[in-house]
Amino acid sequence: MAPSDGIAQLRRAARRAGRRAHAAAVFSRIALLLPLPLAYAVLVLTFVKTHWLPASSQRAWWLLGGVPLVVFLFGVGRVLFARRPSWQGSIALDQFHGFHDRVTSALSFSQLPDAERTPLMQAAIEDGVALAQQLDPRRAVPLAFPRELGVAFALLLGLCGLSLLEVQHVRQLPPPPSFEPMVMSADDIDLFREVGKDLQAKNDDPNALVAVHRFNQLVEDIAEHRLDRHEVFQRMGELERDLKDNLELDRDARDDGLKGLARELSKSGLSRTAAQALDEKRLADAEKALRELAEKLKKKEGRPSASELDKLRQALEKASRSSEERAKSIDQRRRELEEEHKSLLKKKKDKPDGGAPPDLDKKLADNERRLEHLDREKSRAERSQKQMSELDKQLAQAARDLMRDAGQSAQDLEQGAQDINRMAKQETSEEQKRELLKKLQEMRELMRQQGKGGKDQRERMQKFGQRARGQSGAGQGQPGDGQSEGQQGGKKNGPLRLGSGPGSVPIDIQVPVTQSGQGQGQPGGDKPGGSDPAASQNYGTGHDANLAGNATDLKGKTTDVTAAGVDTGQGVAASQVIFGAAERGFVGRGYKQVFTDYQTVAERALSQDEIPSGYRFYVRRYFQLIRPRE
Amino acid sequence: MTDAEQAREEVADFQKQIGALREEIGRVIVGNREVIDGVLSCMLGSSHALLEGVPGLGKTMLVRTLANVLGLEFSRIQFTPDLMPADIIGTVVLDESAGGARTLEFRRGPIFANIVLADEVNRATPKTQSALLEAMQEHRVTVGRTTHVISEPYFVLATQNPLEMEGTYPLPEAQLDRFFYKLSVPFPSRDELHAIIDRTTTAQHVEVKRVLTRQQILDMQALVRRVPVARHVQDYAIRVLQATHPNAEEAPELVKRFVRTGASPRGAQAMLLGAKVRALFDGRFAASIDDVKASALSALRHRVLLSFEGEAEGVAADQVISEIIKKLPGSKE
Repeated sequence: MAPSDGIAQLRRAARRAGRRAHAAAVFSRIALLLPLPLAYAVLVLTFVKTHWLPASSQRAWWLLGGVPLVVFLFGVGRVLFARRPSWQGSIALDQFHGFHDRVTSALSFSQLPDAERTPLMQAAIEDGVALAQQLDPRRAVPLAFPRELGVAFALLLGLCGLSLLEVQHVRQLPPPPSFEPMVMSADDIDLFREVGKDLQAKNDDPNALVAVHRFNQLVEDIAEHRLDRHEVFQRMGELERDLKDNLELDRDARDDGLKGLARELSKSGLSRTAAQALDEKRLADAEKALRELAEKLKKKEGRPSASELDKLRQALEKASRSSEERAKSIDQRRRELEEEHKSLLKKKKDKPDGGAPPDLDKKLADNERRLEHLDREKSRAERSQKQMSELDKQLAQAARDLMRDAGQSAQDLEQGAQDINRMAKQETSEEQKRELLKKLQEMRELMRQQGKGGKDQRERMQKFGQRARGQSGAGQGQPGDGQSEGQQGGKKNGPLRLGSGPGSVPIDIQVPVTQSGQGQGQPGGDKPGGSDPAASQNYGTGHDANLAGNATDLKGKTTDVTAAGVDTGQGVAASQVIFGAAERGFVGRGYKQVFTDYQTVAERALSQDEIPSGYRFYVRRYFQLIRPRE
Repeated sequence: MTDAEQAREEVADFQKQIGALREEIGRVIVGNREVIDGVLSCMLGSSHALLEGVPGLGKTMLVRTLANVLGLEFSRIQFTPDLMPADIIGTVVLDESAGGARTLEFRRGPIFANIVLADEVNRATPKTQSALLEAMQEHRVTVGRTTHVISEPYFVLATQNPLEMEGTYPLPEAQLDRFFYKLSVPFPSRDELHAIIDRTTTAQHVEVKRVLTRQQILDMQALVRRVPVARHVQDYAIRVLQATHPNAEEAPELVKRFVRTGASPRGAQAMLLGAKVRALFDGRFAASIDDVKASALSALRHRVLLSFEGEAEGVAADQVISEIIKKLPGSKE
């Protein structure tokens, strides 16, 4: 074999061995790194199938799988595209055949130019060529199945198996929302019940009464645990909105009407007093002044002069029309402004491409604002007109009658005075509504505070309420019978049965009795009779038939004597009462008196001093908590 | 005859001569094939060897036999602490001729021989050791203003006892580096001991014959230098050398932990020259990686200096070098 052919054969064999070695390295790297992305996929798929991963994060976990995949691809690519060692194949052949680098050396020396080759190099080349026939690249570099590939294969099988596996999952449905009633302490319920009763008693305005009724219903619903927190606040919000609605507008409209009326009435000397009272919103004084004027007109003696009456007539006539004229004036101004606005809009429409005056837009905007303002004023004037319509009618009638019959006119004025009285009552009703609004706000604040404190605070409030009523916190005892001096520690407001004389009827009165059994009840043991007047008049007339002799004649001469009590200054001091209240609960007449004194001072301070609204709540809350209990 | 054929013949002659040499030495020395080959490699590599072994293992006998077989001038110097440089180099003496004329004459010391056995070289003072090592490196000795050339071939074999360290002057690293190989003489096996006893306790006296001439030795040394080394083999030797340094990229963990300083470039020279000799021993025309591996231990073990941790752990230089050979792949280019 020619040396060149032999060298070519050596090179081919070396290249083949090199390729096989490279492939083996790539396979080995694949086998080493492939388990990485596969293991990750198995792990994530397991979590997905077993619902360990929430659906929202599954995509992110799958995307994260790109990291091991990139590691795998990078690791394999690095081996795949790495520069192969020059003599990798020939060295592998030498090592396998035990040729001591004779092949590699021959290939290495054959690359040198002939001139640079020494005789020993040439001999080495020939020596290598002589071995060419013996070379076996396949056996020298076997492509063995990498052991790690088994792991990858197992993982792949696992992945396929997992993907086919369906894991039954029991989904835990959230429990239906439970109804948690709004709980308010019995003490607070009582308080708001009392407030409701007071407001109901003070009011006779049907609208206000409806609001109070709704308030009472709300309190009862809370007491019966029929509402949850959300519903309570919703109902309170609705009630508050209804109460507030038109309250301010009505007041302003009435004030406007009364001021217009006062302005016109002040032009007559006869009605000036009433006008001044109306201007200063002293409706009771205005009513009184009108009644006095009516009396003056009724009297034949000392009647006003004809000129005064004429002035009064004119004043009454103008006053009766003041609301109407004011409304008409506003309406007229509005119509004019509306016309002007339409004209400006038309002007703008005709010259859309900048031909319009530069301040046109500004004028239009200004007009729109004024129109809105007039709309509000018109609405207010109409409302005022409506409120004053009855009074205006009476005043107009009075003005008409004044020229014919002063007496008839006086009646008209009296009816006008009644109408003012009605307005005053209406104002009172509004005050009651404001009072109710205030109570609603207090109630809301109270519920907020309770919401913060939670169950513990409710329990504390319950215990406090019991103590405040003079009860111990240790349960409900049997009601004492009064005479047994309240030995038990439960509810101590037991009925005290008094009066045991002949013909008398036993009566039950509630006497607050202290925990130690020393009641504060009236010392009524020597009081005769009961509440039956007939029975009480027959005292001392009974006679025991077994008793000898006549009954005592009681028809003797007696004289009624009245004696006024004198305060000797030896009564119980306020501090003693407060101390007693702290021990026995906020009960008893003495405590009620002390409480009233203190609360009056506190209320005065709250109304006069500058106190933050948050503190006002706590001060009022404090007095609510220590208020006298039944 | 072509150059290649002539070269092939030269290699064949070399192999034949080495065979004869081995056979003749083998008549005296029992076993120790590795040590004999190592010593021959040093001699054919035109360098020197350091033999280490306990007393009585035949180190001196080996060198003396080698000298006899080669027919070269041999001298033996027993190094002792009181040995002075002049004792080995020689000294100038006043010589009186028959006519009564007096001249200063340089009397050559034992160092002027072709084969010098420096027995227990670590027992002499550093000054005397330096005198020997200078001659080893330069193949010449300067006394006064005169330089005396030592005739070729020049081959120094130094021995040292690894056990008796008391009263010795260990060779410094720089001087150890001058030795081509450091050969450890192993304790003979049972069969070898039988042979040794048989040969040394009977009346049998073995006379060795001279098998090589001075010129043949010089030719063989020249042939060794001409043996080509393929690039990948040279690269491997260099990588092995680099791997002995703890900071090298390819250094194994053992080197990084326990080696203080790696081998000098003389280590690579020794490995490759040794590889060439081994290739010729086998009748091959070029050195191989296997040859480098085979000579690595002897060429590097005295050039790798262990750290304190290595000494404390009882790690041997041979262990470190074996680890390097084991871990380093054959080809990287």
